[in-house]
Amino acid sequence: MSSTASDHRLAGLRKLFPVQRFVNDKASRSAFESDGLTAFRAKPLAVVIPETADEVIAAVRWCFDNDVPFVARGSGTSLSGGSLPVADGIVIALNRMNRILKLDPESRTAVVEPGVVNLKVSQAAAPHGLYFSPDPSSQSVCTIGGNVAFNSGGAHCLKYGMTSNHVLGIKAVTATGEVVTIGSTSTESVGPDYTGLFCGNEGLFGIAIEITLRLLPKPEVFHTVLVGYDSLRAAGDAVSAVIDSGLLPGAMEIMDALSIEAAEAAVKCDYPRGAAAVLIVELEGPREKIAFEREQLSRVIAATKPVVEMVAKDDEERMRIWKGRKSVFSAVGRLSPDFLVQDGVVPRKRLGEALVAIEKLSRDSGIRIANVFHAGDGNLHPLILFDGNVDGMLHRAEAVAAELSRLCIAMGGSITGEHGVGMEKRDFLPHMFDENTVDMFDRLRRAFDPKMIANPGKMFPGTEAPALAMTGLHPLEKAGVIQRE
Amino acid sequence: MNEPLLKPTCESDLVDAIASCEHVVAIGNRTKPAMSPGSGVTLVSLSAMTGIIEYEPSEFTFTARSGTRIDEVRDVLSERNQYLPFDPMLVDAGATLGGTVASGLSGPGRFRFGGVRDFIIGCVFVSGDGKVIRSGGKVVKNAAGFDIPKLMVGSLGRLGVMTELTFKVFPKPLSTLTLSVACESYTQLIDRIQQAASSRWELDAIDARPNELKVLLRIAGPQEANQAIASEITSRWTGDVSELESCEAFWHSVTELTFAPHRSHVVKVPTASTVFSSLDHHVSAAGNVTWIATDDVTDLDAKLTKLGVPGLVVRGEWSASIVGKIHTSHMSRNIKTAMEPHGRFPG
Repeated sequence: MSSTASDHRLAGLRKLFPVQRFVNDKASRSAFESDGLTAFRAKPLAVVIPETADEVIAAVRWCFDNDVPFVARGSGTSLSGGSLPVADGIVIALNRMNRILKLDPESRTAVVEPGVVNLKVSQAAAPHGLYFSPDPSSQSVCTIGGNVAFNSGGAHCLKYGMTSNHVLGIKAVTATGEVVTIGSTSTESVGPDYTGLFCGNEGLFGIAIEITLRLLPKPEVFHTVLVGYDSLRAAGDAVSAVIDSGLLPGAMEIMDALSIEAAEAAVKCDYPRGAAAVLIVELEGPREKIAFEREQLSRVIAATKPVVEMVAKDDEERMRIWKGRKSVFSAVGRLSPDFLVQDGVVPRKRLGEALVAIEKLSRDSGIRIANVFHAGDGNLHPLILFDGNVDGMLHRAEAVAAELSRLCIAMGGSITGEHGVGMEKRDFLPHMFDENTVDMFDRLRRAFDPKMIANPGKMFPGTEAPALAMTGLHPLEKAGVIQRE
Repeated sequence: MNEPLLKPTCESDLVDAIASCEHVVAIGNRTKPAMSPGSGVTLVSLSAMTGIIEYEPSEFTFTARSGTRIDEVRDVLSERNQYLPFDPMLVDAGATLGGTVASGLSGPGRFRFGGVRDFIIGCVFVSGDGKVIRSGGKVVKNAAGFDIPKLMVGSLGRLGVMTELTFKVFPKPLSTLTLSVACESYTQLIDRIQQAASSRWELDAIDARPNELKVLLRIAGPQEANQAIASEITSRWTGDVSELESCEAFWHSVTELTFAPHRSHVVKVPTASTVFSSLDHHVSAAGNVTWIATDDVTDLDAKLTKLGVPGLVVRGEWSASIVGKIHTSHMSRNIKTAMEPHGRFPG
């Protein structure tokens, strides 16, 4: 579309926003052309930056009335291309909708706007001894609206569940412009759980403009153990041993040798040298309970034949262990110019089998794969390393990623544990769900969005994809602010 | 009960049953009769579609047919020291898995780890146009597709008829201990609920009897740890705290709703933890649910309507399952049309 034609078309939208919060110059549009999955890029027609719920509602209603697609976006940390713009659409950037509207320590709830950064909720709740449990690794920059849209996770999902388990109510504008209030400030409700359905809609239903969150008391003490093993399978088996013992750790994470090497080089986290894999187990709770459980964990670990065991003696040592784990994704940038990260899930008992298959895939394809994963809930994060400057390498890496998705489905798992389907895995949705179910997803989507203007082209296969571009580290990733997990 | 009753024994029979009837209401063991009013409908009983299909203790998951009684599930999980932490309700009365999801009922344990919505991870159901839909999955972490299993929680069978459900489970605590905390005033009761809920103790359940000015705290974990935490609570609220000797009977009276007078209706009302009223009979989940026993549902309906909140008639027969203020929207109507385009599931 010529700039004059697009200007004419957008005139009505422009009138809804002050000049500095409606941008459609080339440079501004470029700033929004991709999210955390930089392999896909598309320039939107324009970007609007609302500061109030009424402005969001007005923008959505304008899009509905004018049949213009829109994509809601927070910090753009989506790793599945979920906030990739539509080339003939509008980006509704929600970063300025970043107020914590209410924090009520008595009911242990917070009402927030969608652009509030995840970590800010816990920071605001901290003086009351409370926190917001879901902690995606990008929590210092990702927003609650994005967390809701993708039902994000983190290291603590096994015990505490995903984002939706901590969302009590939502005020949203659907893609038709209807404003709905679902759920409430109670953890209980009457009638279908619309709040639960809205979480994880990947931006296809509309935009959450106010979100009521459940806050939990901060655990009193943590007990963090790092255990080295001489094989990945031994580390995977140790996870099952911990689970079978009746313990319910807050987090269980595994890193393979390549990940350990990267983390060690990047942040000198003092992980055991020579281990083929490390397992991190963290217990949390009241001191009396943890005093008992730490003994139990120690006995279980001893029986798994570890090559080394380190127990964090204090907060400093605990933070060093976690720093190594959290640094892996940016650290592998030292090993490879580019990487893709997968996010599939397998049943926990098949972790060892999955890792053997991944090793074989790596050997057969000649592409290095580093493994970091949320072992407690079987959520794999294979990092597929490649050099985008070499012709055809991106496509080879993508073929490996696709093979990994097939592997997870074949093992009875899922194509995504926390990143969402987005643009990246949409072709695999029909592999995971049968025709009737995908059709029901589509019917539900149309119940919210009959014109299919809310984040079109995502989750469902079959629509035109923007051209693949060269990949590279996200600028925030280079700065060590976010990690791809 | 003279309504026609069909009793399919497999998924394809259920599909045929739904397709052949104009109006269908699914039932399990009818432990919550107000939720399945029978007038002018064909009742489809899931009582022949039972049984645990898969149980993977190491995965913390199981899959069962929706007509399976919860007490059967409880016994099987118990053999591996696992349980459903949200304390399913009306278990001894014969509640089924499907009915538990459709009614969206969670007991006192929902305080600690979450309710039925937080433990359902997969659901197979038949839609109103006779399609078998397999949503969610069998792994505990899964972000693929829309979360229809959660939508079915509280849907009262009006969006689809569930045939198979997958749940997350947790290891069962080694032991539990319950304290009864006497309060001097309503204000103190509220204050103590809030203090307990925000404390380091990680309590397993926090319930209250406002009319008796009593807070009930359940502690779960290793016995020695439970005792140590109980000692701290006792010394904090000196003189007001006693250990409940008949604790199992007490919690049983809550989950089975037998605390209410025999002939009363019992209505679930979601509440904020700071807003109770003189209607209260039992408050659960640190103030997030109020169970109201009443002999006059019409009067309660009017009161809840005035307050602008809904209530669910859980015990006793009544002409409607939901009383008080019911919120509807284009969105909710459109979702119902998407799930059952022919209007087969009335209500």
